[in-house]
Amino acid sequence: MEGEIRLEELCKKFDDFVAVDGIDIDMPPGEFFTLLGPSGCGKTTTLRMIAGFERPTSGRILLDGSDVARVPPHQRNVNTVFQSYALFPHLDVAKNVAFGLKYHKLSKEERAKRVHEALELVDMTDFARRKADQLSGGQQQRVALARALVLRPRVLLLDEPLGALDAQLRKNLQVELKALQAELGITFIFVTHDQSEALTMSDRVAVMNQGRVEQAASPKAVYEEPDTVFVADFLGVSNLLSGTATGADDGACAVQIGDRTLRARQGATDARGDVKVMIRPERIGVEPHANSGEERMPGMVERSVFLGSAYEVHVRVLGGELLKAMVANDGSVAETALESGAAVCLHLPPDALRVLTMSGSEEQAEQQGET
Amino acid sequence: MSRLRNPWGRPRFLALITGGYILWSVVPVLLAIAFAFNNGRSRTTWQGFSFRWFTGETGSVLHDPALRDALTHTLLLAVICVAVATPLGVALALGLQRWRGRGSGTVNSLMLLPLVTPEIVMGVALLLLFLQVFGGIGLGTDAQAIGQITFTLSYVVVIVRGRLVSIGPEFEEAAADLGAPRRDQFFRVLLPLLAPAIVASAAVAFATSIDDFVVTQYLSSDASTTTVSMLLYSSARGAPTPALNAIATVNLMITLLSLVFAYLVYRRFAGRDEATSIATMEV
Repeated sequence: MEGEIRLEELCKKFDDFVAVDGIDIDMPPGEFFTLLGPSGCGKTTTLRMIAGFERPTSGRILLDGSDVARVPPHQRNVNTVFQSYALFPHLDVAKNVAFGLKYHKLSKEERAKRVHEALELVDMTDFARRKADQLSGGQQQRVALARALVLRPRVLLLDEPLGALDAQLRKNLQVELKALQAELGITFIFVTHDQSEALTMSDRVAVMNQGRVEQAASPKAVYEEPDTVFVADFLGVSNLLSGTATGADDGACAVQIGDRTLRARQGATDARGDVKVMIRPERIGVEPHANSGEERMPGMVERSVFLGSAYEVHVRVLGGELLKAMVANDGSVAETALESGAAVCLHLPPDALRVLTMSGSEEQAEQQGET
Repeated sequence: MSRLRNPWGRPRFLALITGGYILWSVVPVLLAIAFAFNNGRSRTTWQGFSFRWFTGETGSVLHDPALRDALTHTLLLAVICVAVATPLGVALALGLQRWRGRGSGTVNSLMLLPLVTPEIVMGVALLLLFLQVFGGIGLGTDAQAIGQITFTLSYVVVIVRGRLVSIGPEFEEAAADLGAPRRDQFFRVLLPLLAPAIVASAAVAFATSIDDFVVTQYLSSDASTTTVSMLLYSSARGAPTPALNAIATVNLMITLLSLVFAYLVYRRFAGRDEATSIATMEV
C-alpha cells in the first residue's frame, strides 16, 4: 500500500529559533494521522516540510521509502489543503479543481470527468461555475479538498482546515472528513491544536511540544495513558498532583502527597522521587466527608459548575491543591453536597491514578521557573 | 454645564472648515477650466461659451503647432515611461519581496528615496549626470524619459509590493503544491492576481509623467522637447490666450481620468481604502 511517510531526525531552524527539533515519526499508509499541539509547537512547520514549502535544516522525509526532502513541492506526490484554503480567486470552482490536472497527461474528456468526480465527492457539482469568493467557508473547504484529491495524491496534508469554521459546521465536517478518508484509503496528515478534533478523527495522534514529539499513539492511548505531563495536561482536563514516589509494592506505587499517601497503578509505577500523579476528572468520586480513609482525600468544594449532564466540581484538598471532579447529574449526589463550602471526600482509585515522571524539557522549564 | 453639546449631532464647525477648504482649493481650478471655454482672448472677462481654443482654426490646442507638439510630446513621454517603468517596477517589486536577508531592508528604504527627494534636487542631479557622465545620451527626449522613469518606478514598486504583501505567499504555494513549476506559478496565479495593481500602477505612472515639470524641464533640449507643463510655465507670463487654459484643461482631464481609472480597477479587486490611497498617492 502506498502513502507511507517516515520522518527521520527531521530538523528545522529559522535563524536561532528551532521550530522542529529532530523528530522521528512513522505515518503508516492509509491512516488518519494527526499532529496535535499548541501554537508554535512545530506541527505546521513539520507539515510544510512534508509538502516541500520549507527545506529541512537536516533529516530525512521518506515517502514510500525514498527521501523527498530535497524535491521541490511541485514534484512531490502529496497535496495540501491550506488553512485559508488558498482557492485561486480569479478562477471558478471547476477551474480551481482542474488546475493541477494540467500537469498530468490526460485527454480533455478525461480531465473533465476527473473534475466532475472530485466535485461529486465533496457534493459541490452545483457550484462548478461559481467564483471562489462567492462561496461560504464550508464550501470553500470542500473545493479545496476536491482540488487536492483530484490529483490522487499518495498523501493528503491538511493544515487546520476546520479552523476558520463555526462549531456546528466543524462537527459535521469532522465526521465527513473521517468518512472520506476511510473511503479513499489515502493517508491523511492532519494538523490541529484542537484536542477533541484530534481524538475524534484520528487513527493515530502525535502530540508535539517545543519542536519535539511527546507521544505518538492511538487517541485512546494518548488520552488514557499519557507518557508525559505535557500530554496529560494538553489532552482534556486533567488533575496533576505533585508528590514523592516512595516505592512500588504489588504493582502499585506509593506516592506521598502532603501528609497522605496514595497508591497509583498506572504509568511509571517503579519511579522514585519527585513525580506527578494524574487523574481525569471523570474518574474522581465525590463522596460525603465521613468516608475518609484509604484512597481518599478530604477537601472543601470551592465551586460547582453546572454543565447540563454533569457538574464540574472544584475541590481544594488538604495540602492546598485544587482538583476538578466530574459528577454526573443523575441524582446520585445531593445538590447541597456540592455547594461551595461543603466538606467532601474525594475518592482517587489506584487504577485511575497515573504516575508521570518529568521529561527533560519539562524539568528544565520547571527549574527555570523556580530560579 | 447641563447644556453640553449633543455628542450625536453633526460636527457643524468641522464641516464648515472642510467645506471652506474645498471651495478655496477647487475654485481656482474651476475658474481656469471655465476660461478655457471663453469665446474671446481674455482670461479674466467672460465673453461667451465656445470650443475655439480647443478646436478653432487658429491658436487652438488642435491647430497651433506649439501647443499640439507640446501635447504630443507629453503623451509620448508618458507612454515610454509607462512602457518601461511598469514591467521594470513589477520585476523589482517581486525581487524585493522575495529577497530576505542582508541588505534587503536597506534596499527597501532606498526604493522610497525618489518619492521623498525634492524634485529640484533630483532634476539637478540628473542634469549633471547626463551632462558629465552620460554625455552620449545627451539632453532631450531620451534623457527626459529616463529621468521620469527614475522616479515613476518607485510608485510602481510601492503599489505592486503593497498588493504582493496582501496576496501573501499562499497562492503560489498552492500552485506549487498542485504541480505548477515556477514559471506557471507566476503566469497562471501570481500575474492574474497582480493584474489590478499593475494596471493601477501603470495609470499612476502615466499621470505622474504627464504632470511632471521639474525633471522634464531640466533634461529638455530644444523646443521640440517642450511638454505641456513646460509650455504653461514659460508662456504664463508672456502673452497668454485662453488656449493655455484649454491645454491645461486637457492635461488635467487626462491625469484625472487615468487616476480614476486606476482607482476603479484597483477597487474591484482590493479594498476601497487601499484604492483611495493609491489614487491619491500621486496628486
